[in-house]
Amino acid sequence: MGDSSERAAADRDIDGERSGRASVAGRVRRRITAGVRGGFFRTTVVLTALFLYLPVVAVGYLSLSPASQPSIPLDGVTLRWYAAVLTDARFVRGLATSGAIGAVASVVGTGLGLLAARTIVRGRLPGWVRAAVAVVVAIPLFVPTVVVALGIGIAAGRVGVGFGLGPVLAGHLYWVLPFSTFLIASRYATIDGRMTEVARDLGADGITTFRTVTLPQLWPALFASVLFAFALSFNEFLITFFLAGSGVTTMPLEIYGKVRIGATSFLNAASVLVLLFSGAVATVAASLEPPT
Amino acid sequence: MSGPTDRIPVLPGDDDRRRTLVDAALGALPTALAVALGAVPIALLIVESVSPPVTPSNYAAVADSVYPAVMLRSLGIGAVITAVCLAIAYPVTYWLAHVCPARYRLPLLISLTLPLWLNYVVLNYTWVWILAADGIVNTALTGSGLVGQPLELLRTPSGIGVGPIELPGPSLGIGFVHIYLPYVLLTMYVSMERLDYRQVEAARDLGAGGVRVFLDIVVPETYAGAVAGTLIVYARIAGAFATPQILGSPSEQMIAQTITTQFYDVLDYPFAAALSVVFLVVVVVGFGVGALSTDVRAELKRW
Repeated sequence: MGDSSERAAADRDIDGERSGRASVAGRVRRRITAGVRGGFFRTTVVLTALFLYLPVVAVGYLSLSPASQPSIPLDGVTLRWYAAVLTDARFVRGLATSGAIGAVASVVGTGLGLLAARTIVRGRLPGWVRAAVAVVVAIPLFVPTVVVALGIGIAAGRVGVGFGLGPVLAGHLYWVLPFSTFLIASRYATIDGRMTEVARDLGADGITTFRTVTLPQLWPALFASVLFAFALSFNEFLITFFLAGSGVTTMPLEIYGKVRIGATSFLNAASVLVLLFSGAVATVAASLEPPT
Repeated sequence: MSGPTDRIPVLPGDDDRRRTLVDAALGALPTALAVALGAVPIALLIVESVSPPVTPSNYAAVADSVYPAVMLRSLGIGAVITAVCLAIAYPVTYWLAHVCPARYRLPLLISLTLPLWLNYVVLNYTWVWILAADGIVNTALTGSGLVGQPLELLRTPSGIGVGPIELPGPSLGIGFVHIYLPYVLLTMYVSMERLDYRQVEAARDLGAGGVRVFLDIVVPETYAGAVAGTLIVYARIAGAFATPQILGSPSEQMIAQTITTQFYDVLDYPFAAALSVVFLVVVVVGFGVGALSTDVRAELKRW
């Protein structure tokens, strides 16, 4: 890979030498330090990428083992554990539950996030009200998840809702709301507010203005929000763990239960499927609305 | 963020009042959800923690026996892991933002932050296979003859500590860094991108070495991102449940595990609530101190 800044630095060194300001030894020394510096940074990046992805690759490799307890190196390669996962009733049910909760949480959560973002960025309300909405929505980002989960769990018990699908869904909605809100709000803030005012001055009502002026500009953020929220909900563990009770099982709960019992090729294949699925969703979302 | 200043001033009238009402009604929906599931439960936690009917005994129990040690250990592990994440994030984001050719920048940034959206239970579990006695690392080490016996890497405490702060064992530490590094990378990158590279070049031309450039230019210009990253991951690490459960040794019990045990197994809700409130107060105080700086607040707005 090219390294423009260091090349530039090296060029400057050569100029310096031509005008007699730097010794040959100095130039060589700076070249070496620049090379070492570039090497250090590149090495760190490569090691970080390996650190993040090698475990995933390792589990992918082990999931191909013909034995239920893989031994290294594998004696053969098979996809039978993937077939086993996809035909296992408990896993398929967990997958379907996670998918359904994720679908509702991501679509409804994005709708609520849109309303919250609109209130925070454009609402005709006093500044402190909009700031308060932003703070209340942001709570799950900064309050430890275990505290949020225990709070909702105890509150559900007190109100008499108990545990099950309803509380889990509410918990997921609450969990994805800040992500949707702030993703959409950052896009909302780039939309020229005068355009909507002009549309209204020309006689369009609020809904028409929103549909014809604001919405077309928000689409990428909304779509990214749905996908990110889906990935978040699909992978959510702790809140579900506190609220599910005995009747509901999701994919992360199912995998957590299996991890506690002991690692098998079945679990490796299930893990790879979950990683591929959420990774694909997040990659599409990031290409619509890149991070930063 | 653009606010009221964007709007063409209009004369106040019935239409205006109606629109304010509509705006308030639309905003009420998500706010009600957030209040019902955030503010109310936290208030209920505080009520629960002093029940029945009003007693400080739950807090007295928190101060007792092992719980302060568990709390300190959680906070200490949070601090150590956050520091490690920052130490990795500085060179990586610096390279990404200022050295990496522009066309690779976005794909690399996306791949380094993608694990944010992956399942952390699964990511933690991947390390079980790598670090187990018959796992990949040990097979490689014993196979190549580097070590005679498999190393005890999985769920082993480090045994190294400074006062009450105990370093996490190898598997717990690696698992934590794996899960939380992407958050720090993302926040640091945002800051690093705004660092004016010409300052670095100027310092180099004036003869500053790598360490001087880092301490005198990179750190002052990007500390807000570092603090924001710290605030975002610190409480999550200290309050993590799945990672210590899967990769920690039994002697490395952390606060979320204690709270969960009280909730699930002991069914002592008031005590679990008291533990949570104490933990929350510690985190919120730390957060308040960090967020005092306006630079940091600006950085956090992105989240």
